[in-house]
Amino acid sequence: MTATAVEPQSATGRDPAAGPRRTKRNGPRRVSPLILAFVLVPFVVEAVWVFWPALQGFWLALTSWDGLSAPRFVGFGNFSDMVSDPIFRTALKNTAIWLVLFGGLSVIGGFGMALLLQRERRGVGIYRAALFTPVVFSLVVTALIWRVFYQPDGLVDTVFRTVGLGNFIRPWLADPDTALYAVIVPALWRQIGYVMVLYLAGLKAVDPALYEAAKVDGASAWQRTRYVTIPQLKGVNSVVLSVIVIDSLRSFDIVWSMTKGGPYHSSELLSTYMYSTAFQSTQLGYASALAVVIFVLALAVILGYLIRAFREET
Amino acid sequence: MTGLAMPLSDRRTFLKGLGVLGAATLVPGCATSSKSPGSGSAPTGQVALQSNLSSEQAKAAMEKLVAAYNKTGGSQVKLNTVASEIFRTQLPTYLTSANPPDVYTWYAGSVADSYAKKDLLLDVSSVWDSMGNYSKAMQTLSTSSAGQKIFVPTSYYWWGMFYRKSNFAKWGVTPPKTWDEFVAVCKTIQGKGIPPIGIGLGDTPWVASAWFDYLNIRINGAPFHRQLLAGQGNFTDPKVKAVFTKWREVLPYFDPKGKSFPFQEATSALLAGKTGMFLIGTFFADSAPKDALDDIDFFQFPIIDPAVPVAEEAPTDGYFASKKVQDVDGVKKFLSWLATAEAQEIYVQNSSGTAIPANPDGKSADTPLVQKGKAMIEGAAEITQFFNRDSSDALQPTADAALTKFLDKPDQIDKILKDWQAAAEKVFKA
Repeated sequence: MTATAVEPQSATGRDPAAGPRRTKRNGPRRVSPLILAFVLVPFVVEAVWVFWPALQGFWLALTSWDGLSAPRFVGFGNFSDMVSDPIFRTALKNTAIWLVLFGGLSVIGGFGMALLLQRERRGVGIYRAALFTPVVFSLVVTALIWRVFYQPDGLVDTVFRTVGLGNFIRPWLADPDTALYAVIVPALWRQIGYVMVLYLAGLKAVDPALYEAAKVDGASAWQRTRYVTIPQLKGVNSVVLSVIVIDSLRSFDIVWSMTKGGPYHSSELLSTYMYSTAFQSTQLGYASALAVVIFVLALAVILGYLIRAFREET
Repeated sequence: MTGLAMPLSDRRTFLKGLGVLGAATLVPGCATSSKSPGSGSAPTGQVALQSNLSSEQAKAAMEKLVAAYNKTGGSQVKLNTVASEIFRTQLPTYLTSANPPDVYTWYAGSVADSYAKKDLLLDVSSVWDSMGNYSKAMQTLSTSSAGQKIFVPTSYYWWGMFYRKSNFAKWGVTPPKTWDEFVAVCKTIQGKGIPPIGIGLGDTPWVASAWFDYLNIRINGAPFHRQLLAGQGNFTDPKVKAVFTKWREVLPYFDPKGKSFPFQEATSALLAGKTGMFLIGTFFADSAPKDALDDIDFFQFPIIDPAVPVAEEAPTDGYFASKKVQDVDGVKKFLSWLATAEAQEIYVQNSSGTAIPANPDGKSADTPLVQKGKAMIEGAAEITQFFNRDSSDALQPTADAALTKFLDKPDQIDKILKDWQAAAEKVFKA
């Protein structure tokens, strides 16, 4: 009752008594200082530590800078240098290989494992845990473990010898033909467990009634997977795709701690090349330009997918 | 889910803490932007020493060194040890920041001069007034291209072809002096089924640069080597190719496994008798068991052309100071003390013991190995530092790529040298 009476008064804005009352009424719409703080403090931190350096990175990409003297503006010189840079081309090619192999195999492997392990059977928890364990390790630790596997006369060599493939043995991480693939394996070892967990969660959310209905209609196991499971996982797929693209393009730690992009740049990714140009060759301008390329690539792939996904939804 | 089930009050304090943390992280951001350098502030009475000697023994030796100085009175020195890789990448940031640490551990030669060229280093010519007994080579190394003394050398070490005395005796070989003798020794050792030359390129590809350096200073001489590394030469020069032609003669004797492991493991391989010899700096001793060291000896890198004045690699370590130091007198006093034989002995005695004091009056460790190394360096007509120290850390990766590729695909040497030149030009241009 009183509320309706107050309304016209507050519209005039003259009645001082209306002030506090109005606050009370519009309370939910007014943002409390606490919430404002929650938004603004992280925003300020983010602005100083993320947005500002990111913007600076874009600016540095247009300069030539050694970290000591003032940056010198060179326009798009860094980007045109890339065209004729053989190491950049190797790194780009390797990043593409990495995206396809690491991304593709971890989706296939992770999805396969999730299908295998989704049904509650005795001991299935042990298998799930075993596959997920590598995710728990830091990638640097994973790299160290695998370096021991790959070392001369190490586990990998022994396995090859026992199965009679001794002729194929090579210095896995030091041979330019195998180095990149030798690094992808441990990366997959970890990523498959991660993707599996994402898909397991997705599979749990699929309504069992759909399977029953399909079964009643006489759908085979393959048809149930193809026409029920996969369409139902659309939401998870977009998450997995984003995760994979981002993980591929930022893959750095495992490569750096296993080969440092070597031998002679044969396992170089854009990310390791960016790091070594920035902090070993101190060509910070060129390295920033590489960072911009990585950013654009990631954005292009993910935006492309997201736009398509949203369009289908609406 | 249990993680979220903490009592409300706990969560509040947690969040409050988070906020404080966020605010705290903002502070250093301001610290670099405010406060103009040397804004007339009085001597602080404290000297900040930034050290990259992070290995256990070297760090302990530095702590003893600083403690000894702090007892002498004057400015107190505060030691801050940083992992060497971080130190290397951060050094430009330290030196260009508004309020940098005062004194830094660093290397003599081109790698120090590059900072002097940017006018970031303190002129320490007055410190050198008390260093009249230092060798001419040390003086040259510590002088910037502008003619100022910018560096205070404190110790150096040497590179050599290390081997186990007992193994050489067992294989019936004696240390070679010339290239031909060296090749003959390689043949004999290989005949015993042992890879003659050890190397460790996995993770430490820069070790290969020692071979390039030595072959180049033996064939073309130290002056040519220095000019080439300073960007005044060209890696496609036939004289450079001659280095690789010579190298190729001994490529079959390299341990094929050496590509896969770092120099520390190559050291173990040498000590275990799995390789015959190993061209390495004395720092390898840090990762070797003490009892094995008694059986270790070395010989000088074989002479190839007797007409070329003999040069040796003797990387020199020491200190320089930032141009922006506030307590100039305190810093110079500390540097003068570091240059004394007494200070250098404290360091040498407490570190792994293979470093030799830069002060000629300083006593090095009394082992035959160190005495032999010292005699070799003192007898050399020319001293070089090492690839990265005679050029720059930026040029080192270009050498790593070129040299590891050469070891793998020696047939492609012309393309390798062309690529190396292109990569080097980019570094020199930057």
